[in-house]
Amino acid sequence: MNLKLLAKRLTAALLLLAMPFLVSAQQKTVNGKITSDKDGSPISGATVLAKGSKKGTQTAADGSFVIEVPVATTKLVISSVGFGTQELTIGADNTANSILKANNEGLTEIVVVGYGTARKKDLTGSVAVVTAKNFNQGALASPDQLIQGKVAGLQVLSNSGQPGAATTVRIRGNASVRQGAGQPLYVVDGIPLDGRNARPQLSAVGLGSTPDVDPLLFINANDISNVQVLKDASASAIFGSRGANGVILIETKKGNGAPKVDFLYQIGSSKVSKKYNVLDAAGYKSALSQYGIVSGDQGSAVDAQSEIFRKGLSQNVNVAVSGSTDKSNYRISLGYFGQEGVVKSSDLKKYMLNFQGSSKVIGNKLNLDYGVRVGQVNEKIAPVSENAGFEGSLIGNALQWNPTRAFRKPNGEFDQPAGALNPLALLEAYNDRSNLLNASIFFSPTIKITKDLEFKVSSSISTQTGKRNAFMKDFLNQTDIVGKGWAFSADNTLSTSLINTVLNYKKSLGSNIKIDALVGYEYFKSDRKGSSAFGKDFKDIPVNYTNILQYASQSSLAIGSFVDPSWELQSYFGRAALNFKDRYLVTATLRADGSSKFGKDNKYGYFPSFAIGWNVSNESFMKDISAVNNLKIRLGYGVTGSQEFPSGAAQDQYTFSQQSFALNNVANPKLKWEKEKQLNIGMDFSLFKNINVNIDYFKKDRTDILFNTQVTLPGPATKYWVNVPCNIINTGIEVNLNADIVSRKDLTWNLAVNATFMKNKLTNYKFGKVLTGVISGQGLSGVSVQELVNDQPLNAFYTKQFEGFDGSGGSKFPNGLTKTYAGNPNPNTLLGIRSELNYKKISLVLNGYGIFGQKVYNNTANATVGLGNLGKGNVDVRFIGTGEAVANTPSASTRYIEDGSFFRLSNASLSYNIGNIGNTLKNVNVFLTGTNLFVITKFTGFDPEVNTNKQIDGVSSFGIEYTPYPAAKTFLAGFRVSF
Amino acid sequence: MKSNQIRNIAILGILISTMLGCSKLDEKLNSALTFDEAKALTSAAPLLRSTYNSMQDALTSQDRFIALQEHPSDAMVGPTRATDWDDNGVWRVLHQHTWDADHAYITRSFQNLLIMQYNATNVLNFNPTPAIAAEARFLRAFSMWAVLDGWNVVPYRTAGSSLADPPLVLKGKQALDSIINELTAIIPELTNGPKNRANKNAARFLLMKCYLNKAVYTGNRKTITFDNADMAQVVSLADQITGYTVSPNYFSNFDPSNSASLENIFTYGGGTSENQGRAGNNVRSRWHMSMHYNQNPGGWNGFTTIADFYDKFEATDKRKAAVHPSTGYTNPGNRINAGFLIGQQYNLTTDAPLNDTRGNSLIFSRNVATNLQESSPTTLELTGIRVVKYTPDYANDDAPANEFVFFRYSDVLLMKAEALLRSGGAGGLAIVNSLRATRGVAALASLTNSNMLDERGRELYWEGWRRNDQIRFGTFLAPNQYKPSVSPDKCLLFPIPNNDLAANPSLQQNPGY
Repeated sequence: MNLKLLAKRLTAALLLLAMPFLVSAQQKTVNGKITSDKDGSPISGATVLAKGSKKGTQTAADGSFVIEVPVATTKLVISSVGFGTQELTIGADNTANSILKANNEGLTEIVVVGYGTARKKDLTGSVAVVTAKNFNQGALASPDQLIQGKVAGLQVLSNSGQPGAATTVRIRGNASVRQGAGQPLYVVDGIPLDGRNARPQLSAVGLGSTPDVDPLLFINANDISNVQVLKDASASAIFGSRGANGVILIETKKGNGAPKVDFLYQIGSSKVSKKYNVLDAAGYKSALSQYGIVSGDQGSAVDAQSEIFRKGLSQNVNVAVSGSTDKSNYRISLGYFGQEGVVKSSDLKKYMLNFQGSSKVIGNKLNLDYGVRVGQVNEKIAPVSENAGFEGSLIGNALQWNPTRAFRKPNGEFDQPAGALNPLALLEAYNDRSNLLNASIFFSPTIKITKDLEFKVSSSISTQTGKRNAFMKDFLNQTDIVGKGWAFSADNTLSTSLINTVLNYKKSLGSNIKIDALVGYEYFKSDRKGSSAFGKDFKDIPVNYTNILQYASQSSLAIGSFVDPSWELQSYFGRAALNFKDRYLVTATLRADGSSKFGKDNKYGYFPSFAIGWNVSNESFMKDISAVNNLKIRLGYGVTGSQEFPSGAAQDQYTFSQQSFALNNVANPKLKWEKEKQLNIGMDFSLFKNINVNIDYFKKDRTDILFNTQVTLPGPATKYWVNVPCNIINTGIEVNLNADIVSRKDLTWNLAVNATFMKNKLTNYKFGKVLTGVISGQGLSGVSVQELVNDQPLNAFYTKQFEGFDGSGGSKFPNGLTKTYAGNPNPNTLLGIRSELNYKKISLVLNGYGIFGQKVYNNTANATVGLGNLGKGNVDVRFIGTGEAVANTPSASTRYIEDGSFFRLSNASLSYNIGNIGNTLKNVNVFLTGTNLFVITKFTGFDPEVNTNKQIDGVSSFGIEYTPYPAAKTFLAGFRVSF
Repeated sequence: MKSNQIRNIAILGILISTMLGCSKLDEKLNSALTFDEAKALTSAAPLLRSTYNSMQDALTSQDRFIALQEHPSDAMVGPTRATDWDDNGVWRVLHQHTWDADHAYITRSFQNLLIMQYNATNVLNFNPTPAIAAEARFLRAFSMWAVLDGWNVVPYRTAGSSLADPPLVLKGKQALDSIINELTAIIPELTNGPKNRANKNAARFLLMKCYLNKAVYTGNRKTITFDNADMAQVVSLADQITGYTVSPNYFSNFDPSNSASLENIFTYGGGTSENQGRAGNNVRSRWHMSMHYNQNPGGWNGFTTIADFYDKFEATDKRKAAVHPSTGYTNPGNRINAGFLIGQQYNLTTDAPLNDTRGNSLIFSRNVATNLQESSPTTLELTGIRVVKYTPDYANDDAPANEFVFFRYSDVLLMKAEALLRSGGAGGLAIVNSLRATRGVAALASLTNSNMLDERGRELYWEGWRRNDQIRFGTFLAPNQYKPSVSPDKCLLFPIPNNDLAANPSLQQNPGY
């Protein structure tokens, strides 16, 4: 590495705005842009070298590059995956633009598959690749948001607008019944993650629990070069008992070319994308008179939503220093991501450091990959819970607040009437901070034993510590808090370690047969522990209560600590891929997974897969067909597993509470993984050379479904983990189209559309009724609206049939209290659209997605803003003048089930590629991005994209809206520059 | 470097990684004990404590077994008040006798009681001392009695049996005999107290309930023929329960200092002193579930009694209403704060009249809506006579010092009087009149089934006995103010929850469900 040069670049980075011009004397600077011959789209990541030199650079996202070459140089060598190598003459004005000719239509593209790589054209499974260029744009805290709407069959639901909140990710439909299960396995640079995070859970007194944080938060989105989604079993079976929910492989950027600094700055402002339509003061007064209610007009005019929402500032700064020589490469990135939530007193700040490098030693026979990733995530968390009881949480309290009631009394104190929580008082009384520190290192030597045989060891250690301090001041007029106040302090640690060894053999036998085979071993261990303390009765002490927990009253103190049973996984795996004449492809994999979690009768599970592919286009009879190219047919079948249950679940466990212990988990020596058999039939082809098409049919059959259920009574107070032999079937068809509609020199337009049509069913289910979808709120205790029912979709809605109002304004329920089938919360159609328009230096990218066919239960309308509030609190505008009586009971029913279908323009980005400024600032690009620009939906609540946690006994709900932290609309401006 | 050296490095790497491998995948629990580890601890005391804790859910929560004993009776009703207390009709169907086998609180009561039974049985798996074993067996008998009373079948596991095996199912007489045998056997092993632990007199009390209701449990619950021998047992057991007196201050049995009560026989302790480490006893829900939001402490504005029941009380009855001393406020207007609350309610510190949340005067009325669904926004928060039996511990609303009372001496006296009445013996009237005198009401001229039941109602209202009493006296199916018709016979038993039927094939649904 040229340290001097690097130092200079770094200095330049720091003095960017003050010192824009640095000149290098003995060299000349060449600028250019590389585009594809196919559609004129820029080619990013192409290597640019001065001919006869090893010094080079890479093209930026817009295809542009800047390279310093000796004055004498006349030619550059350009190479890029999928395009081959090409020479280019430097023009008189020191520019060099090139249109690269695609090399076999991009199909020599190398993709990462589990524990190795493969040529894309050799793939037999269903694998979707999303490269950085195609990521969603905007202030995205977490990597899973980058690919929302990008991949057929992939559903990413934003559960909460709290910055950094976890998402619900489902690949090819919902196959899991348990809370927290069903998320895919994430693998970052070959290292499978634990999937959990170390933020302590808090169920705040009287408020309920706040949503979880995204476990990928500590990964810097700017470090990611591509994301691959392994959807079918033939692709994911190599991940065995953790592969059943699909696998998302995240690859980070590597250094390439001459040392350079990439700088990104982005600043923006967010506001709540939609306010809930409740009455304003004037409307409230007229409603009071309309319904003949004499009390309730408090004489003021306020808008509680405006008081708790705000414009939030987002900033993202990223500096990456990277480079390579022929023996090594490195990349260091430093990132700051700050996002103020649109609800006051909520924000997220991330500080991320990532170092990654590799070195070839011993005559290139030993390659060492190494890296360190450190991230600090600080959150302020708003009191917006997923399962607030009758007293609601912040958003609900704001919606309910009587719009004629001032928040403060004339003397300045909060007005806190009985039966309503003052949202501003709650905001001021509640304080919740979380700090997560994640550090991971990896080291991975690869030895080339012979030309064909490679031995690779990957090892990684990762530790995440989470600290959460929360308190609630005593002035809040809530039964359990007023005059008392509480404080909570907890920390958790999650440590994982992993080592795997892979022996890989790649060989061409003659010209017709290629073999790619590997065998491997993997050991994974995860430990989680923590402690917490809680106390009350801090009263009016003017100090952060969490600083003085010892002041709490003796009787209120609760302390606890835990160390989870270690989770160990030991696996043996192998894969063999055979390519015959580039026409016939066969892939077989097998993984044997042992897990310490499994019962002693089932310590190892075996997960095979088999797939064949046929490159039809390589057959001689296809030679004359010009309209269809690259036709490939794939057929795969495999078995994968899911072991998402806590460690210790297979054993009897006597757990401790103060001076006592009790049996809390009953042994099940037969306990094992959920098993999923998946069939995938796929076809890839291109039409008229400018439309790429992928079509896949899948059928997933999940059985041995894990339930945490009651032992046949008499027995201990729950729980018993058991594999129930029913089937959850997900079937569907995915279509992916990518068309270069216009490919002219100055104007290109690329349109990508993916669509998924799917069905979900629970079948062969013969056990007791399982209720879920609990509805929270006053008068709704113990009410649930979803059930697991044989031959129905998972989480089918079951509730009372609502048929309008009777003459006296009461709800009519023709079937009385009987619950009947009331709709399907699972969507039948997913849609994703991306459009990229380039005109000269201007580029406009639109990303949108839609989810269709699902029903959503509007718990907010049911419990928070009903007509019954009139005179006390606020009401949904829709509920005025419907013939309903004020005292009508808002009983859970089909009245609150709505069509949740929607289409969202998730982001639009307009960028202008300035190119180089002087000799130092290169690839300058300025952009404007808007996210969540509009949503087309009939849903009446904040946003139809919801999934608040409404589980019962660990069985999760799906598609219930309960006054979540609302989504934000964000506008950002920023620039990128390299030097 | 030569290629054989590379190979050596590779082989070394493979060897090292193979050595690192080969985990046996043994799982250590770290913060829990295995059965063997737990058993190796010589003391079963922590498990006994857990068993006491399991009474919290099973027997003290306002939406568990006590709700099943009171809501279906003529003494309690939970009307729906627009947004409040609908809960999908779960309270209304209890009072209207239209519950089904999916009823949430019938299901959870059944399950919590069986969990309590298991926890008690499990103590016996851990080499308990005879005293601890006796306490556990008492708690097991108590939970089994409650299941017998509600469902007439008792799923049962013996100590040492595997949870993988299906439980036994004891029916009617079989279950009762088992409970009677257990209680009889453990009386000598039990101590005399304290009253918040299983004790000799608590066992005798429960045994009295068994004999008094034996004809109910062993028959069809409709045509009940009492056996004089059983009644003699009741009388004899009552005479063995000594050392208690009826307290002249009725509400002192329930107030925050009721640990000093001379009447209480078996309680679930309150506060923090005696029961540190025990789960709370839910006493706070006794006042919260009935009081209005704007009262102090702010309640949940829920359950009320029924005017017909309220009218059974004479004006002078100390059990009806009282101004009970409190440390939490001065009560300058000497407003009634214990017993039945009716009419205008006041701030007990300032004596200002209270309003409801819509600004209407907080005046509790006698009646609730006939269909148990309030429909007028001006009265929906106000209907029904409220009941404050446990007077609130203002300073410690979330961990009140009040003990939760299961068994009380006045019930011993009333059971004895009833047994004498049923067996034709003398002395019942005198017992009842003596109690009445202490409670400030005039003597009865004679004792009949009807006034015996009424007296039990006046003395023991909202304590979790009313359904049991009404079934024994044959009035349970009869109409009351908010249940206009005679209920079907099936209502004498609760249905076995559907989930438990699915889990245990040897259970059969009770007739009629």
